[in-house]
Amino acid sequence: MRAEQAYRTLLRLYPSDYRALFALEMQNAFERAAEEHRVLGRPVFIRFLLGEFVGLLSGVGGEWIAKLTTDSSVRGRCLPDLRMMRPPGVPRELWFAGAFQGHGRGSLPDEVLSAQARVSMLIQRTVHAIANHDFPGARRYSHEERLAREELRRLRQKHDMGDAGNDGCS
Amino acid sequence: MRNKPASKPLTEPVLLILLSLAEKPRHGYSLMKDIESLSDGRVRLSTGTLYGALRRLLEDLWIERFEQDDTTREKQAYKLTPAGRKQLHAELERMRQLTHAATTRIRTREA
Repeated sequence: MRAEQAYRTLLRLYPSDYRALFALEMQNAFERAAEEHRVLGRPVFIRFLLGEFVGLLSGVGGEWIAKLTTDSSVRGRCLPDLRMMRPPGVPRELWFAGAFQGHGRGSLPDEVLSAQARVSMLIQRTVHAIANHDFPGARRYSHEERLAREELRRLRQKHDMGDAGNDGCS
Repeated sequence: MRNKPASKPLTEPVLLILLSLAEKPRHGYSLMKDIESLSDGRVRLSTGTLYGALRRLLEDLWIERFEQDDTTREKQAYKLTPAGRKQLHAELERMRQLTHAATTRIRTREA
C-alpha cells in the first residue's frame, strides 16, 4: 500500500483546480493499474512505478506551466457541474428518480422552488470560487449552501413533501 | 474560445486517446488499457500523461464528460465531441496523404 500512499502524496503537487477535477480519478486509475502490475512480479511492478512517478512529476510541471499561461476562464470551464454529478454510493436509479421528480416543478410551492434555486446558485458560486482559487469565498458559499439545504429540508417537511434525501438540486 | 482547428499534427497520446474514444465513451483506466491494446503494447500511458492530455482536450472542447451507469467522481467517463471527431478525421486524412506520398516516392525510387 506504500506505493498508493506515495502516489496520493505526490498528487498534492498538482494545482488545486486540477486536483479538484482529476485527483480522485487518477488515484482510482493508478490503484487499478498497480493491482494489475503487482501480480506480474517485482521487476514489472517497479518498472510500472517508475513510469508512473516520472509521468506524474512531469505532469505536475506541465500543469503548473499551463496554469500560469492559460486564461482562468478557459481552465474554469471544464470544471464539473456539481449539480449534475452523482456522488459515490448513490445508485443511478435513485439519482435520476430525483431528477425526474424535479421536472414536475409546476406543482411545487413557490417558497420551495426559490429555496431550491438558492441552493443551486450557491453551488454554482462555490464552483466558480474554486475555479478562481478564491478558497475563503468557496468555504463561505459552501457554508451558506449547507444552511440553504437545511432551510429547503424544513420547507419540504412543512409542505409534507418528505425528506427523500434528494432535494432536487444536488 | 480555444475550439479551433489544430494547426500542427496531434501528439501520439492525443491521437490514441481520440481514437479510443471514437469507438465509445471510456473512463481513465479503460482508456489506458485500450490505448495499450490499440498500439500492440507499444504505448502505455502513465496516469499523469493521460490526465494531462484529457485536461487539454476538455479545454479545447474535443472531448466532454459523459454520464454512464457507473459514473462517480472516482470513475468519470469521457466521450468525443463533434469537434473532436472532426479533428480526428482531419489528422487521419493528413496521415493518409503523407503515407500515400511516401509510398509513391519509395516506389518511384525502387522502379
